[in-house]
Amino acid sequence: MLKELIAKSFEKSPWLFHLNTGSCNGCDIEIVSVITPRYDAERMGFKLTGTPRHADIVLVTGPITSQSKDRLIRTLAQVPDPKVVVAIGSCPRSTNVFNGSYSVEGPLDKYVPIDVSVAGCPPKPEAIIDGLAKAIEILKEKRRAMK
Amino acid sequence: MVVLSYLFYVLVFPGLLFSTIVGLILSGIDRKVVARMQKRIGPPIIQPFYDFFKLLGKETIVPRTASRKTFLYAPVIGLLALVTVALFIPMFKFTAISTVADIIVIIYLLTIPAVALIIGGAASGSPYAGVGISREMVAIISYELPLVIVLLTIGKKVGMALNNGAITFSLSQIVNYQAQYGPMITKWSLIPAAIALLLIIPIKVGSVPFDIAEAETEICEGPLVEYSGVPLAIFKLNHAIKMFIMTSLFVTLFLSGKGTGILIVDILLQVILSAIVVIVSISTLKAITARLKVEQVLKFFWTYPTALALLSLILVWMGF
Amino acid sequence: MQHYPILSIVTLFLGAFLTVIFGSKNETVRKFIALVASSISLILVLMLIKPVMIENNVIQYWMGNWRPIHDWAIGIGLEVDSLGLFFGIIAVVTIFLSIVFSFRYTEKDSETDKYYVLFLMLSGSVLGLVFTGDLFNMFVMIEIMTFAAVGLTAFRNYQEGALEAALKYLVLGSIGSSLVLAGTITIYSQVHTLNMAQISALLFNNLTPSTLFAFALLLAGYSLKAFVVPFHPAAPDAYMSAPSSISMAFSGMVNKAGVYAIIRLVYVLYHAMSFKSIQLLLIIIGTITMFVGVTMALAQNDFKRLLAFHSISQIGYVITAVGVSTALGLTAGLYHALNHTLFKGLLFLTAGAVFYATGTTDLNKLGGLAKKMPQTAAVFLIGAFSISGLPPFNGFVSKWLVYQATYQANLAPVTIVALLVSVMTLASFIKVAQSIFFGQMPKEFENVKEVPLSMRIPMWIMAILCVLTGIFPNFVTKYLISPAVSAALNVGKYIDIMMGNGYAEKILGKPVEIPAVDYVLAGYWNPVAWLVLFALLLLAVTIVAVAGGFNTASLPVDGDDSKYEVFFGGEANEYSHVKGNDLFWGLKYDLRHYFGFMHDAHSGIINDYALWAIFTTTIFIVYIFLLVP
Repeated sequence: MLKELIAKSFEKSPWLFHLNTGSCNGCDIEIVSVITPRYDAERMGFKLTGTPRHADIVLVTGPITSQSKDRLIRTLAQVPDPKVVVAIGSCPRSTNVFNGSYSVEGPLDKYVPIDVSVAGCPPKPEAIIDGLAKAIEILKEKRRAMK
Repeated sequence: MVVLSYLFYVLVFPGLLFSTIVGLILSGIDRKVVARMQKRIGPPIIQPFYDFFKLLGKETIVPRTASRKTFLYAPVIGLLALVTVALFIPMFKFTAISTVADIIVIIYLLTIPAVALIIGGAASGSPYAGVGISREMVAIISYELPLVIVLLTIGKKVGMALNNGAITFSLSQIVNYQAQYGPMITKWSLIPAAIALLLIIPIKVGSVPFDIAEAETEICEGPLVEYSGVPLAIFKLNHAIKMFIMTSLFVTLFLSGKGTGILIVDILLQVILSAIVVIVSISTLKAITARLKVEQVLKFFWTYPTALALLSLILVWMGF
Repeated sequence: MQHYPILSIVTLFLGAFLTVIFGSKNETVRKFIALVASSISLILVLMLIKPVMIENNVIQYWMGNWRPIHDWAIGIGLEVDSLGLFFGIIAVVTIFLSIVFSFRYTEKDSETDKYYVLFLMLSGSVLGLVFTGDLFNMFVMIEIMTFAAVGLTAFRNYQEGALEAALKYLVLGSIGSSLVLAGTITIYSQVHTLNMAQISALLFNNLTPSTLFAFALLLAGYSLKAFVVPFHPAAPDAYMSAPSSISMAFSGMVNKAGVYAIIRLVYVLYHAMSFKSIQLLLIIIGTITMFVGVTMALAQNDFKRLLAFHSISQIGYVITAVGVSTALGLTAGLYHALNHTLFKGLLFLTAGAVFYATGTTDLNKLGGLAKKMPQTAAVFLIGAFSISGLPPFNGFVSKWLVYQATYQANLAPVTIVALLVSVMTLASFIKVAQSIFFGQMPKEFENVKEVPLSMRIPMWIMAILCVLTGIFPNFVTKYLISPAVSAALNVGKYIDIMMGNGYAEKILGKPVEIPAVDYVLAGYWNPVAWLVLFALLLLAVTIVAVAGGFNTASLPVDGDDSKYEVFFGGEANEYSHVKGNDLFWGLKYDLRHYFGFMHDAHSGIINDYALWAIFTTTIFIVYIFLLVP
């Protein structure tokens, strides 16, 4: 019974950690708008945490700059299992307009597998919420695979 | 039989199970009410349960710099202390341990969860936790002064009526007094003390605007920064239980009395009153304020709540 | 039995002389002598518990059998009542554990023969002080104590500040001794006897101006020996520079000797506790002492210096409780004195262990030692929680008694200050815990090892005693504290035993009353219920542990995986330890004027400190002349 409860809880209580790897701040603002009264992601249990140790879902925004690459890899490693990586916006997925820049070492899937990718520059809050809903499904699967 | 009844007290009611459930529900109510105040829909009331069970299913990571045993056992020590406090707090006529109910025991036992948080954070070896424990300690120093004065004031007030002027440190005597003379909040000389205690509750449970120790935007949740999985779940549980204990203490000190005489109804009444105190003192403040700075917290608590509590103390000593 | 007290004192002095003769060459011999002397003295004193504490006898012994003739005491007498024995027990336990700790602790020092000589002298003099029944003998003993202590302070004279500390101690200690001597002489000139029992009888209801003057001098002198604020500035330096085993003896018994002398003075010699003004004086200096001590401790950056200021602060609790002067207050004071010996001894030993392992006690240089020295860290936490008064450790019980005693005596401000001081004590020990035992470890301490067994044993004994006296307060009060309290209050018996039956009645003009030592320990906790509770809760932990939640073996830690590094905003781990100076910013900022004032006041100049001592003595004299009838 406890197992079912835990499985159910994973669906209801995904905590987010937001990781900016050189974003232009557009996606960051959209992420914040997800928790505003209009969209209120908290009603589905989403909560922004301050440390990767508490997170279930990591939101990555921005192309991977050379400054942030090591830090990204390290921070992602510090998230306890099961974890899901969500790429927010086009940058982490394709490096977007920063492609070819001397300081960009993206895209993200060169370093870590992306579970969900939300396209857009920036993506609409609805799209982010949709992506998060998909991320929860993957989180549940990963949890099942863990045990 | 005695052992069994103690086992029941500790594990079920009013110990572990009961305070867990009520605490988690109260913190759910708190989140819901704050959300409604901000015109959000908010999470379901049982959201803290989901959080708790989810954390049970997560991986537990112990960092390499951590002192492992201290790191892992600190949350449990805090939980034990909180469960013990739960046994001491009378709910109208009911107390699990009536003869030893004592205010100073409660003051010190309520310090233990904070100390457990501090020691656990220190044991993690993280610099964020180091800053967090420093702030948590400043918070403890800040609220302890007015809290002590409030409790001593009530002890004196009750002692003057029931003990020929000798101070009482007994919570059940405080409840008896309220059964005879009506709830403490109706005594005008104690209203400042009540307000002071209402201001102390948020800092004790570590909520905005006094959550300097766990400021997630500044110092990455402070002492909790390295915690994950089960120990984190227990710390979150500690927070929830602390919320219940503090509000229940307020109810016992200020809103208690004869009760209805039926145990179930009394307990329900206590829980409902606690929920109201949560809404009044924690949720409202949380919704309308932003986090204070470290030195502002100390300054605030050593001025306004202390002054209010002292006012009550002086009034009570003068016989009002 | 009659001879036990004198034997226990003489053994220690004899040990000192034998160390000089036989121990100057051979390390083993001097250790053996010290161990034998201290154990004999320990056993002799512990054997006195049954007759004195339980059967409530008072042992009197006239040296050279110079008994009083015609009701006039001439010889030097020893008189061991429960109060003296209580402090005697504290002293011998401290001596024994400290000697055991010293064996390995001083192995890096040269000339340890002088160490043991001075240490045994110090021990013998403290024991002599608490067992003597003669006022001048008390002065002699306190002189030996002071000079042995000065020598020991300077023992590690290669360390920075050791000689300066010794000089400070010497100057202030001499002032204290002079005050005591002046007071003793003044009393002698008035009553023509030095026997305390007889003085007590003669001074009853017979306070002339010169005896009041003597009272003020004695009170100031013994306060200086107890390091009450503002007589305290020698203490932190001395405690810091002395070896830790000596610091433990300083705070465990040298301090207590001063407290004992104050209790003897105000309760027995002068019957002064019936005066409201004397009560108030003790309560005021006690409260100031505890507050100044703890706030100064908060600002320290050295483990032992911090502990030294805590010693001052805890003595403040004792003096305050003694000043309340009800039976409950005296109980609280004596209980706290006992507890202070236990937990402060323990903490000084952990400081010694840290010094032994790392070579420093600077809070800004250490860190993360709990991984390397888990047992030291564990006993440190026990000591820290005890001194902070967390249940179920012993500090909780005695502090509770202090709160109850002060609040019942209508001293609400004192209660509030005491509770605040308790929290600040916790804060400063959190600082130590974070700076030394937790957090990150500097590179140079990677080869640090746990201290050897002979150093851990005294620490664990102290730690276990801390827990036991916290869990079984009823036994402690019944067998140790209550007899001592009743002895302090029952002056008539003290006089009668020494001077022969009926003497007290003859002089005092009324029959010797037996004081009623009854107090209600309101809501005193029921230890059995607590044991049940804790057993059950431990059961709950076990359940959690068995369920796998705390299966520490399954949690991988090693390897280069960055998963197990601390979160550092994504940066690679580098050494960043939040330590000593970095803590409690908000508190320091808000109280910056107070801390600034305190910093300026503690200028480190001996002249200033001597001036404080003289000035405070003057205040005592004026206060006592003005307010004591």
